[in-house]
Amino acid sequence: MKYVARKAREGINVSDVHPLAEAATLVAGLTALFLAIALLLIFFIEIVLYFVPAEAEARLFTGWMPEDVVVADSANEQRQATQVLLDRLAGHWADAPYKFRVEIDESATANAMALPGGLIVVTQGLLDQVESENELAFVLGHELGHFRNRDHLRALGRGIVISMFFAVITGNDVAGLGIKATDLTLRGFNRKQESRADEFALALVNARYGHVNQASRLFDRWDEQGTGASQLMTYLSTHPHPRDRARKLSEIAYRDGWRTDGDITPLSWSTK
Amino acid sequence: MEDIAQNLGLFFNYALPLLVLMTAYFIGSVIEKRHFASIREREDNAHGFPVVSFDTMPDDWNASSSDLVTGSIVISLDYFKRVIAGLRGLVGGRIKTYEPLLERARREALLRMTESAREQGFDAIFNVRLETSRLANASRDGKGTAGVEMLAFGTAVKLRNRPG
Repeated sequence: MKYVARKAREGINVSDVHPLAEAATLVAGLTALFLAIALLLIFFIEIVLYFVPAEAEARLFTGWMPEDVVVADSANEQRQATQVLLDRLAGHWADAPYKFRVEIDESATANAMALPGGLIVVTQGLLDQVESENELAFVLGHELGHFRNRDHLRALGRGIVISMFFAVITGNDVAGLGIKATDLTLRGFNRKQESRADEFALALVNARYGHVNQASRLFDRWDEQGTGASQLMTYLSTHPHPRDRARKLSEIAYRDGWRTDGDITPLSWSTK
Repeated sequence: MEDIAQNLGLFFNYALPLLVLMTAYFIGSVIEKRHFASIREREDNAHGFPVVSFDTMPDDWNASSSDLVTGSIVISLDYFKRVIAGLRGLVGGRIKTYEPLLERARREALLRMTESAREQGFDAIFNVRLETSRLANASRDGKGTAGVEMLAFGTAVKLRNRPG
């Protein structure tokens, strides 16, 4: 048998595709795929919301708490006073399907969250910044507004979808995921949901005090002080700008003929 | 102070991995291009040296001596290839970024084996085989891949007659 030397042939074992083209195809394709899945799931959440009434949700989530909330002592004076205020406000929401409870998270960043089952988490940072009961009432009313529109469940659903997405990407175990409040708040609500909640909050405050004076003063103050840039950035990613918000609120008050003057109720814990 | 912390956070979370990815791509492609150039040049030099996979020596070869010759290479994935392969792993299909890598490993291993045989004065190699083994990465409980070893081996012979 004659041995004939041949040169190695190229291009048999290597695909003739530029690595960057391969990268672009994969990234674009997978992004489109995940977007489609996310949209489908968000649509699915809307369907679930339609079929699961608020009463069933309240039963399902009784006593539930996200795992990363550091709850202050429930005998805490501020918590009890806030709970009393919340109950009074909720009293002005006829046939509210939830039994609302409030918990205080020890975080120093000012924030408030509406969580499934009628749970409102208020941070210590927020309580330190409110200067009157009227301001606090508006914040609580705002969260009640999220419950009324069931925004909190949409945020929860989106949070789960996004967590699952990252679990798939990073190869973590999907089953091991816990629901974290930070996930939920970071996903946030959209502007429309926020202004609907604001409008509801203002109506509750008006019903409670007979006027809406200083309800939005917290936002005015944030606007004037210009809260630390990074804190403002975090806040703005989930909320409207405080200035727009305050302006919108005074427009609503004017439209509905609500009084913008009236006595301010001090916070029960600051009077001592 | 908080701003700096946040910007640093953004940098470490998003910009840095992207930068590493791009750097890995550029360095990886330069190395790959040079390696292929070197492989082609050395293959041209070795041209005419019989390297065959028959498991028995061809009848017309008249061997005076023989020995085992080996050539091996340990080659690593770069970060870019690894990331793209990871994405490919979600949907399946040809991992196109690994193909040139393994092609390089095979040809380099064969070349090292051939060069070793020539240095020792052999005239041809038969019964050539290729073996691959994965080197586990200890840092991730052996789940990661640190690299791949490609081993080429065969029986080198000195011939009384020139084959062909």
